[in-house]
Amino acid sequence: MPRKGIKGKRLITLLSLLILLSLVLMTLNIKRDQSPFFFESLIITILSPVQAVFSQTVSSISGVFEHYFFIANSARENSELRKQVDQLSREKNELVERLNQQERIAGLIPNEEPEATQLTVATVIGRDATQWSKVVFVDKGTNQGVHENLAVMTNAGVIGHVIQSTGTTSKVLLITDSRSAVDSLFQSSRVTGVVVGTGRDVVKMKYVPMNAEVAVGDPILSSGLGGIFPKGLRIGVVSQITKKKQGLFQDITINPSADFSRLEEVLVLMP
Amino acid sequence: MFFLIQFLILVVIFSAQTTFLENFSIAGVTPDLALIFVVYCGIHFKGSRGIGMGFTVGLIQDCLSGGLLGVNTLSKSLISFFFSTLKDKLMVEGLFPIFLFIIAASLLDGIIFYLVLVTLFKGEVPGSFLFSSLPTYAVYNGCVGPVLFYFLDLNRKWVLRKFPNPYLRQS
Repeated sequence: MPRKGIKGKRLITLLSLLILLSLVLMTLNIKRDQSPFFFESLIITILSPVQAVFSQTVSSISGVFEHYFFIANSARENSELRKQVDQLSREKNELVERLNQQERIAGLIPNEEPEATQLTVATVIGRDATQWSKVVFVDKGTNQGVHENLAVMTNAGVIGHVIQSTGTTSKVLLITDSRSAVDSLFQSSRVTGVVVGTGRDVVKMKYVPMNAEVAVGDPILSSGLGGIFPKGLRIGVVSQITKKKQGLFQDITINPSADFSRLEEVLVLMP
Repeated sequence: MFFLIQFLILVVIFSAQTTFLENFSIAGVTPDLALIFVVYCGIHFKGSRGIGMGFTVGLIQDCLSGGLLGVNTLSKSLISFFFSTLKDKLMVEGLFPIFLFIIAASLLDGIIFYLVLVTLFKGEVPGSFLFSSLPTYAVYNGCVGPVLFYFLDLNRKWVLRKFPNPYLRQS
């Protein structure tokens, strides 16, 4: 019986210690800046080469199945064409935005050149280890100039921004994560709102007034406010609009332009 | 050698979890191999060593996620504590008991996660997403659990045969 008592006390002490340690970690996490703890860097450094090998292997295997066994050459051609469509779509979008901007500011600021943005290509080597957040790991870090608060996109559109960097890898918070918020606007009507993640594959546009004219299929772009995403990056298109009788804002669902289930190479926008 | 093998298991589990497991998602939900491993360790590690493994797995999972550091450390520690404390009173053998206990552990994991976030970030927690995904998450884990248990059991028996150690239970 005394032995049982000692064991019980030991377990309670252990349980208290575990809870205390976890709470200390959470507190430190909230209070610190965005730089990773040494053990975070250590774990990511140990795992990232293995993740890269796994990703490459899976990519190769799925590539073999997709391109050779199932639909032979058409899959490859389709894949290339999709890339081209994405590229052209991005270029068209950029041109439309530049044209609109030129029209608005013509005469006011003559000869102004838009700021040149440098792009760094990074490969996605891993995804979030939990169910509850939407993060990807890329193989570029502070050694390559990638740091916190840089926008990340594909040719199709915005995917998120860097939230943490180690020497060789970075964590990118996707726009589908429930903590993500991007100040945005409709390409045609220029009405602004905030695109927030839902934790699923779609995102929502908040704070769009009831009287704003919005239609399904309208493209959404980043507004440039907020300091992370430059103006005019494509985010997605409106897929559903709900107007509740009581309420100040419309409930707008957006299909992101980027395909989050097939992220392989991404572009980091360097300042 | 025992620790090296555990290290390799963790590397494989987390590499799989963060790379190709996404291809097997159902309604955006993927199985949580780390959670299943924690339950396994709680049951099959001697004494309270499974709790230490639960803490370690939770900490690694936190480092490999974009969420708040410490949430998974807490939930995985508590789950391993629960199974480690009750392992002599529970009969976790056979498909159905494993399925049920992993469902229970998954629900506990989701609820702890939700409670911690609600406490720390009032109003910013995607409760609807969490609760709509939680049943799928639990059942999916429950289905994958017996398969992973089978492979971990094979490994445990091999380790005990080749490298006798004071950390693993015989049965």
